Amino acid sequence: MMMHWLYIDPGSGSYLVQLIIAGVLGIVFFFRNIKNYIKAFFTRSNRKTDKNSPS
Amino acid sequence: MKHVEQLHSSYRDPSGFMFKMEGVYYRQVNNFFKKDFDHFISSGCYDELVKTGLLIPHETINENLTGSADWYQTLKPEQLQFVSYPYEWSFDMLKDAALLTLNILKKALEKGMILKDATPYNIQFHRGRMVFIDTLSFEIYNEEEPWVAYRQFCESFLGPLLLMHYKKTPLQQLMLAWPDGIPLSALQVLLPAKSRFSFHTYLHIHLNAKFNKKPKSPNKQTIRFSRKKLNNLIDSLEILIKKLRLPPHTSTWSAYYEEAAERSNYLTEKKRIIIEWLDKIDSVKTAADLGANNGEFSYLLAEKKITTLAGDFDPYCINDLYNNLKNKNNQNILPLLVDLSNPTPATGFNNEERPSFLSRCKFDLLIALALIHHLAVSKNIPFSKLIELFGLITTKYLIIEFVPKSDEKVQLLLQNRKDIFTNYNSQEFEKYFEKRFKITSKAPIADSGRTLYLMEKK
Repeated sequence: MMMHWLYIDPGSGSYLVQLIIAGVLGIVFFFRNIKNYIKAFFTRSNRKTDKNSPS
Repeated sequence: MKHVEQLHSSYRDPSGFMFKMEGVYYRQVNNFFKKDFDHFISSGCYDELVKTGLLIPHETINENLTGSADWYQTLKPEQLQFVSYPYEWSFDMLKDAALLTLNILKKALEKGMILKDATPYNIQFHRGRMVFIDTLSFEIYNEEEPWVAYRQFCESFLGPLLLMHYKKTPLQQLMLAWPDGIPLSALQVLLPAKSRFSFHTYLHIHLNAKFNKKPKSPNKQTIRFSRKKLNNLIDSLEILIKKLRLPPHTSTWSAYYEEAAERSNYLTEKKRIIIEWLDKIDSVKTAADLGANNGEFSYLLAEKKITTLAGDFDPYCINDLYNNLKNKNNQNILPLLVDLSNPTPATGFNNEERPSFLSRCKFDLLIALALIHHLAVSKNIPFSKLIELFGLITTKYLIIEFVPKSDEKVQLLLQNRKDIFTNYNSQEFEKYFEKRFKITSKAPIADSGRTLYLMEKK
């Protein structure tokens, strides 16, 4: 039953799926980077405030 | 012409092969792989990987030792002390091997190269850490093409790690059943349903498996991959693998030494006797400590500069030992999963690709402490068979502890079973072992009732 795809190059199946997975990851990492950037921006500004605050 | 023995582990690769000549292992690079190999060296990829300790260093020998027409280069890699396989590694050893592969892939990409395969057999435990040994795995990177070894990585590294993580139990035996990696279709059904809710696991296993079932091949020319896409794929695999854990477990023998230490001066006395004997047999360079537990005695051997294989059948003990060795940077001990009642068989094509555990064993000394009763009583293996086994592992010396039937640990083993071991006593033990070994010293261990023997192979 599965004989027909035994003749296909074992790597070929993963070509298409790699494109899809990498595509999904691209979107997810894009938003993660934005989130990290915003997070870093606020932590940075907090640190600045800390420095200026009287000890 | 000198005798050249080609190793069966590398004949699948047309780029080159490993061979042995006069006891030294070499790697031949074939003309077929010339372009990629030259780029590997000239791009600085080799230097970078060796400098960071990720790849095994080699010496270049400008001589065609095999006489082969396809010869391009001969390499003499730093020689390994002992070759081990993923089904003999603990969870963290496999995890570190997976992270090492991804790390090497990232560094190779920076130099314009990519890994053409991703299998744990390209990695060995060498001088206290995991190192990459296949110098011929690097080929020139084409940015438009995806990673050819992606599925292999998912099946041979990620799959076993995920199964052990989700099932919370060591499952190294599965890698013996599927030496080329656990197929995605099998992983999909073996993993629990909740694994689908892990974003990265869903992508790399479940979605991947779904697509691999469909026999359609895309037109590679119209769909292009990119470096950014590949980096995302590597980052995702790395994020996932770093999260995987084998939860700690109180295994059969994990508290053995704490418990043993309570028994008067049993451990101190045992150590004293062994140190005394080790000074007597100073020609020993390699040793196997089988039934090593947390490696207490392997450390003793390592201190004497003896390269020691610390084997135990308990995957939790071996995992703890591996992590301790990593922290202490101890280079003389190799932790390994070994079940002496069922040592690793030979696997692969013709049963020749990966040799059996026993055929890889050649040690100057074997120490078998508090082990004999597990083999003779728990596993019903007669002394006549045990001397054969020990005789195969050691080439010179054997330090063995005899645990009498009256011992509380043996009584524990006999608790729920019929005592059929009428021949299990020190007289019978000595009678059989003297057939294969010469007993050179014998010492009772404090007041434990146990006896240590130093024997020499006849």
